[in-house]
Amino acid sequence: MTRLEKVFNQKETKNKVLVTYTVAGDPNLESSKKILNDLIASGADILEIGVPFSDPMSEGPVIQKAHERALKKNIQFKDILNLCKQIRIKNKNVPIVLMGYMNSFLSLKNKLAKELNQAGVDGVIVVDLPYDESKSFFNNLKKENIDLIRLISPTTDAKRLKRMLASSSGYLYYVSLKGITGAELKNFNEVKNKVKNIKSLTNLPVVVGFGIKDAQTAKKMASFSDGIVVGTKIIDFIEKKSTPKISNFTKSLKKAIN
Amino acid sequence: MKYKNLNNYAFPDNEGRFGEFGGKYVSETLITALEELEKVYAKVKKDKSFQEEVIKDLNDFVGRPSPLYFAERWTKKLGGAKIYLKREDLNHTGAHKINNTVGQVLLAKKMGKKRVIAETGAGQHGVATATVAARHGLECIIFMGEEDIERQALNVYRMKLLGAEVCSVDSGTKTLKDAMNEAMRDWVTNVEDTHYIIGSVAGPHPYPEIVRDFNSIVGKELKIQSKKEFGKYPDIIVACVGGGSNAMGIFHPFIKETKTKLVGVEAGGSGVKSGKHAAPLSDGKVGVLHGMKTYLMQDKNGQILSTHSVSAGLDYPGVGPEHAYLRDIGRVEYQSATDQQALKSFHDLTKTEGIMPALETSHALAYVNKIAPKLSKSKTIVINLSGRGDKDMFTVAKEDGMTL
Repeated sequence: MTRLEKVFNQKETKNKVLVTYTVAGDPNLESSKKILNDLIASGADILEIGVPFSDPMSEGPVIQKAHERALKKNIQFKDILNLCKQIRIKNKNVPIVLMGYMNSFLSLKNKLAKELNQAGVDGVIVVDLPYDESKSFFNNLKKENIDLIRLISPTTDAKRLKRMLASSSGYLYYVSLKGITGAELKNFNEVKNKVKNIKSLTNLPVVVGFGIKDAQTAKKMASFSDGIVVGTKIIDFIEKKSTPKISNFTKSLKKAIN
Repeated sequence: MKYKNLNNYAFPDNEGRFGEFGGKYVSETLITALEELEKVYAKVKKDKSFQEEVIKDLNDFVGRPSPLYFAERWTKKLGGAKIYLKREDLNHTGAHKINNTVGQVLLAKKMGKKRVIAETGAGQHGVATATVAARHGLECIIFMGEEDIERQALNVYRMKLLGAEVCSVDSGTKTLKDAMNEAMRDWVTNVEDTHYIIGSVAGPHPYPEIVRDFNSIVGKELKIQSKKEFGKYPDIIVACVGGGSNAMGIFHPFIKETKTKLVGVEAGGSGVKSGKHAAPLSDGKVGVLHGMKTYLMQDKNGQILSTHSVSAGLDYPGVGPEHAYLRDIGRVEYQSATDQQALKSFHDLTKTEGIMPALETSHALAYVNKIAPKLSKSKTIVINLSGRGDKDMFTVAKEDGMTL
């Protein structure tokens, strides 16, 4: 069983999964490592680690700035892999998922899957790699048992969804709104119906992300999904130089969803 | 790789690719919008009444066909091949960009969209979009890098006069690529009522195809005009390449006419070897940005590098995927011209022919300036004079050490 399967298998105990998103190297590598370890200690079940990119097209202003801060520190892909290794040394179980843009992953060429595996990475989310373009990428990752986590959006229609589900693994990430990260979440019922529909078509766990900024929304979203993703709000603490607040916030989310 | 036979050249393929280039590298939310666009476009491409509507607007609103002009004094001065200019600068709004927006706005209306957005560098595409939006009564938002807003103040004001909202983009390098990022962000948020009018043969499929098709009126006219003017197709066609829409527009109808040499000229900035340029086809690597696989200026970690060019319209780290393919198969030759060479040609043409070219176009002129004297007088060169230089007054004055 993979680390991701193990985390979601706790479903038996009805525990919902808390996924956190932070950007590698934001505000610098050392702090980034500390923040990630704190997140684990305060209840994060899966770490999504953002790969900083010069052109983060799907991010709202808060996460854009996080990418810029990390790039100012000249973060290289090898630094990110190193960061993952260091997390892995301390913690054998927490799944690590790298989230970023295609051009960053392409920079490792055919060594990508092997390098990810050696760094203890479990999955990859590529924002600008839709299902249609992902076949060889998906197969290459599979060889090293790395899951390619699919993003499903409010505009994904039923026919397309079925095709996507046929080549998905790990978990599914439902993007709760049409927009960028950290935007305003407006239609709760639409999200609920869509997630229910996805769950009726697959056994894979479905987590909901984009626009979840407080414990109350987290609780609502977790009530019909397998877990939630929180990014912008955590990064907001980093931007405002109040990282010590991250732990309590994370604990409050964890408590709210279970 | 060298092309053998281009008789069956028909790109993009069913997957939206030009060889390995192109594709649809966008977030999941945009896929439905792109598929809708693809479907509607495939339909109108064969729809006679739609095509007639486009042609009518190109004739009566844009002022087409644009003349093919013999640059007699400049030809004499260089003493070699005969030089002709395809006068896209005479179009309404002053550049080739309007050929595309006239078509895309009709597409937007066909899809029932009430709002159009666009990115712009030099401001020409922004003006061309604001113009057609005004004519059709659509809401219009233009994204423009902070740095470009500064160097293209005149165009910013033009867009505002036309009723468009100009959004200043202060992320990243604050130029064209960042304006495109921001336009993508807007589109993903307002995808249901908004059509994104991309201004170059760049972006995800089907944009490179759509923008190429609407601009190819330039090459189609040239085929007729050159036969009439000098009894054959040109020996050489030269165009500047940023994203590559004016070049693709004039090249595409000639791809199978292999006796005609096609040359694209990129922005060499301070020189390709200096690293301060915007010439991904001369000095870039294959990657993915803005929805397409193509040649990009990037570092070893895949971060997009900031570019440099005196012309805002060429200041872009990528290039349309069809150019990437045409480069690889050797059908089009890609060269570059530096800022200084472009500026010199700007002055030369202005003084010799009484035609003030855009700084973008001046890069194509600079290349011709170099090769024309070496060619025999029986040869003909056609330059796509893609835009007029009025918008560049402040930049040129500054380069000449003057304040206006």
